[in-house]
Amino acid sequence: MIQLFHVLKKFGPNVALNDLNLRIRQGGFVFVSGPSGAGKTTLLRLIFGVDRPTSGHILINGINLNRVNRSRLDHLRRKIGFVFQDFKLLAKKTVFENVALALYVTGKGRTFIRKKTHQTLRSVGLSEKENAYPLQLSGGEQQRVAIARAIVKDPLILLADEPTGNLDPDLTEDIMVLFRSVHMKGTTVVVATHSRELLNDTEQRIILLNHGRIVGEK
Amino acid sequence: MRLRLWPYFFKQALMNIMGNRTVHVIGLGTMVVSLLIFGTFLILFVNLDSWIQGWGRSLSASIYLQDGVNEADRDKVADFIRDIPGAQIKRFISKEGALRDLRKALGSESGLLDGLSDNPLPASFELVFEDADGQARDLQDIKRELEGMEGVGEVQYSEEWLKRIEGLMSLVGLVGFIIGGLLCLGVLFIVTNTIKLTIYARRDEIEILKLVGATDRFVKVPFLLEGAIQGMFAGLIALLILFSGYLLLSAKKIQFFGVALFDLLFLPREYAFAIILMSLGLGLVGSFIAVGRFFEI
Repeated sequence: MIQLFHVLKKFGPNVALNDLNLRIRQGGFVFVSGPSGAGKTTLLRLIFGVDRPTSGHILINGINLNRVNRSRLDHLRRKIGFVFQDFKLLAKKTVFENVALALYVTGKGRTFIRKKTHQTLRSVGLSEKENAYPLQLSGGEQQRVAIARAIVKDPLILLADEPTGNLDPDLTEDIMVLFRSVHMKGTTVVVATHSRELLNDTEQRIILLNHGRIVGEK
Repeated sequence: MRLRLWPYFFKQALMNIMGNRTVHVIGLGTMVVSLLIFGTFLILFVNLDSWIQGWGRSLSASIYLQDGVNEADRDKVADFIRDIPGAQIKRFISKEGALRDLRKALGSESGLLDGLSDNPLPASFELVFEDADGQARDLQDIKRELEGMEGVGEVQYSEEWLKRIEGLMSLVGLVGFIIGGLLCLGVLFIVTNTIKLTIYARRDEIEILKLVGATDRFVKVPFLLEGAIQGMFAGLIALLILFSGYLLLSAKKIQFFGVALFDLLFLPREYAFAIILMSLGLGLVGSFIAVGRFFEI
């Protein structure tokens, strides 16, 4: 479960999030929407522990992020998958290596890593591209590698920042199918998007942000 | 730290080195040069020390007798010498013998001695000590006792020279220590900056590793290994070059005006091992300093 209590986040004089209170249940599927600069990315980064709130508290499965040390935060991140807007793939590593990286850091055995990585890449439809390098792939394929890396460790929470930002409608639908299949396995999914098409077709919970505040919910 | 992670760390460290070859070759080269200077100094020190030790083991003394000394007094002196533990009379040089030796030494210039009306050279005993250990104080006493005997003019022994050279060795040791210390600092600076450059080159990867849940230790260990590997190789290469240099020099006898001075010695095994360990340690410490301040992610 993700809980935010009176969260304020400032970058210098600029307020990115203002007195935000939010509760996302375990196994939920939530869209966070709003215009550019509304605070969507900041919210995801706070939940992921990349940034710390200026004030207020964030609890992930009961763990207060304000009170965890770096080592515990590293371990907590292994339970959270993050799909970055800019993919953050390593150009000098193959697709397989990029995905396997998320398992290497957990100290899992080589056989397990190989098996799990193959399986995950198959699930995102990239079995044939395992030995390719990110720059040899299309935007949609790179996005799927980023998703594979986020889900390979069977995370409790999956955060995705504008995962369909640069994709055409067909690829967008493919990506959403992937998220729904991950959600079906019990993972809490939080997707930040400003895509109206994506929100129009969904029956999932939508949180609307503007100027760092929740301005609506569907 | 899980044991199964170490192959991954080593692979990463080697990949980092290969990926930043130029930086590592420059760093390695500079480290090797520093270690060569240090190693050369150490070889010099080891050889000087061995030379002095060798000289110390063959301490010698000359006991000059007064002119006109009678046979009984001379025998007394000889008996006294024979009673000294470890001392041996190498030879007795009569006044005539001393003049003969001097003529021989002067060679073509020996004609200079023809004008002498009297032989001014004293007769003497030359003695050697088999073992110098613990003799330093005794020699002073022996000298004093001999000089108090009837018929003895003067006693000279090599200990005084040895002491002066040993003083010089202490100075050489101190200079070596200072140079070694400065070179260590230099090596540390080189390694730190080499690793900093590789960290900078891999900052994206580090960020991603941290974002997928890698601990600080997981990110740092390959860099520490990188420094240690660089240090170890620098030590090995420096030793190899020093040994090649040694083989080259020892093949030709070091001569000084046609006289072979001494056999050149290489570093003892423990010194060579210490150089590699020191180099590896410096590499490790240097990279430890470099990774000390990580990106706050």
